[in-house]
Amino acid sequence: MNSSFRLWRTTTFRLTALFIVIFVLAAISLLAFMAYQSSIQIQRSQTVEIEREIRELVRLEKVRGIRSVANVVQKLARRAGPGIYYLGDEKGRKLVGNVSNFPMEVLTQNGIHTFNYSIEQALPDNIGNNTKGVGYALVSSRKLKGGFRLIVGRDIVERRGYTSIIFRGFLFGVIGIVILSLITGGITAKRVLKRIDSISDTTDKIMSGNMSQRVPITKRNDEFDRLATSLNDMLDRIENLMSGLKEVTDNVAHDLKTPLTRMRSKAEAALRKGVSAKDQRAALQATIDESDQLIRTFNALLMISRVEAGTPSGSFASFDVSEVAKDMAELYEPVAEDAGIELILKTEKEVSIYANRELIGQALVNLIENAIKYAGGGKAKNKKIVLSVGEENKNVRIEVSDNGVGIPKEDRERAVERFVRLEKSRTEAGSGLGLSLVRAVAKLHKGEFYLQDNKPGLRAIIEIPKDKQ
Amino acid sequence: MKILLIEDDREAASYLIQALDEAGHVSHHAADGETGYAMASSMDYDVLIIDRMLPRRDGISIIESLRAEDDNTPVLILSALGEVDDRVTGLRAGGDDYLTKPYAFTELLARVEVLARRSSPNEGETHFEVGGLSLDRLSRKVERDGENILLQPREFRLLEYLMKHSGQVVTRTMLLENVWDYHFDPQTNVIDVHMSRLRSKIDKGYKGQILHTIRGAGYMIK
Repeated sequence: MNSSFRLWRTTTFRLTALFIVIFVLAAISLLAFMAYQSSIQIQRSQTVEIEREIRELVRLEKVRGIRSVANVVQKLARRAGPGIYYLGDEKGRKLVGNVSNFPMEVLTQNGIHTFNYSIEQALPDNIGNNTKGVGYALVSSRKLKGGFRLIVGRDIVERRGYTSIIFRGFLFGVIGIVILSLITGGITAKRVLKRIDSISDTTDKIMSGNMSQRVPITKRNDEFDRLATSLNDMLDRIENLMSGLKEVTDNVAHDLKTPLTRMRSKAEAALRKGVSAKDQRAALQATIDESDQLIRTFNALLMISRVEAGTPSGSFASFDVSEVAKDMAELYEPVAEDAGIELILKTEKEVSIYANRELIGQALVNLIENAIKYAGGGKAKNKKIVLSVGEENKNVRIEVSDNGVGIPKEDRERAVERFVRLEKSRTEAGSGLGLSLVRAVAKLHKGEFYLQDNKPGLRAIIEIPKDKQ
Repeated sequence: MKILLIEDDREAASYLIQALDEAGHVSHHAADGETGYAMASSMDYDVLIIDRMLPRRDGISIIESLRAEDDNTPVLILSALGEVDDRVTGLRAGGDDYLTKPYAFTELLARVEVLARRSSPNEGETHFEVGGLSLDRLSRKVERDGENILLQPREFRLLEYLMKHSGQVVTRTMLLENVWDYHFDPQTNVIDVHMSRLRSKIDKGYKGQILHTIRGAGYMIK
């Protein structure tokens, strides 16, 4: 009961029902039109035939006289079939023929007449198989010389038969179609319902806490599978974000607690008795420096989450990336030189891109600062960083490579995560957010960010589609 | 210098007012948008410091109204929102500079002083001279005690900005914003490295120091 009610409430089933109603209405009007048209057609062809017979008989009368006509009419009247033949005198009395009781106007006026009559009393046995009910006649009446009246006509049996055949065909056809469509509609609705149920089952399970549930996908690759695939992709993304969020929360707690603890102990130490004014000042300065570093970390975190949420594209503009790369190379060249590293810029003439200039600049700075920090540790004699900008398959490719210590293959994925600093101690300066921001910036521009082995060293690559997004 | 601070955080405002007073400025405080707007439009100030998010009336709308009334007093916007887009909306509304909270007071002071100077007429000047150092914007020549000094284009712009604001503290972020036109926050001491290079060209081997490092704040030419 409940299940059939659910079936009725499905869109598929309702659509099926609607189509059945529309179909039946259309079928009725089509059949009515056909019946009307064919009865007209039958009448027309019968009329032609009747008129031809009348003409023949009139000619016979002219050539051979009325007696000969009477003979022919009598013969014709005896033949089995729907024919109606009559020859009467001027007073309306039948001489020969198979019908006698015509309506008055048929006996008095020339021309074509149609009329209903009762078959039992009117027609002889040899007319038609339908001996019951009301007959329908089409006749032509003609007055002959000497006042004789000749009537030739047909009982239109076809008309009756036709109507009933059409009606029966229609009835069976429509009933069959209605039953068939109800069955197929029901089956389709049930199948659709099953697919929908499997999706809502999954979402129920997810809502009750089982994040790893996914919507089953069939091999049919239909619209439901496409829906299921995109739902699953969305769920993957959400699950990823959730686990990422958890990790970030843990890391934030750790990375912010450590400097806060340091700050607190410094302030406490400075408050102790016997600390000189000079040392107190130094402690205050250290506290400010420490809090600046904290603020910086917060800003970086905020920036990443804002970039990941997607900044409005109003901040996008077309500009030359090589120009930005040139600015950054020039800005960092002295810093690299002081660290004993050569910073080399390789750019093509102009690489135009539609992007957020500030964010692209920030991403480049993060990569360069990272490279400077880690290139120094390498064994290579002539330490160098190569910053290159180019175009490749409709992508803009920004690459920063160094020949420093590099990152082991298994750690490269993790290095891009928030707060991950690969040296376990976390003593090195920096928030551990630099590469995460680079990745967020690449994603914002519908691009990719990945790390490769530079043998030796690290190659960091940003690829961004060149087209306006 | 007469400064109006429109800021709803009373504690932060009182620190700021005190510090501005110590720096020798006269400062007034308004704690909400309506009062702030009334004060700004009825009195003459050299600089307005306006917080973005205020009770009763937000900072951006105050600036827009002032600009619509042809009041061109320089405005420094303070905001907890620091993203590129927020900065752009702030500056588009008619703000002259944008500072993200939390900020160092030295940074705020340096920016306020530069803003106040902006309304004075040295904007169109083409020749600067400080001590024995001179810079000509047209011939792009730099001389120290009569000797020609060759500078890279960026070094020239750096010195040009410093000399334009001679006698004022210029912070590292101000240099990055105005000389390089980027608003990010570098982790390393990039600006310091550039400054030490510039210093070695204009100060090294000459009598008397012109380019000074102001501890905890930035640089100054005097």
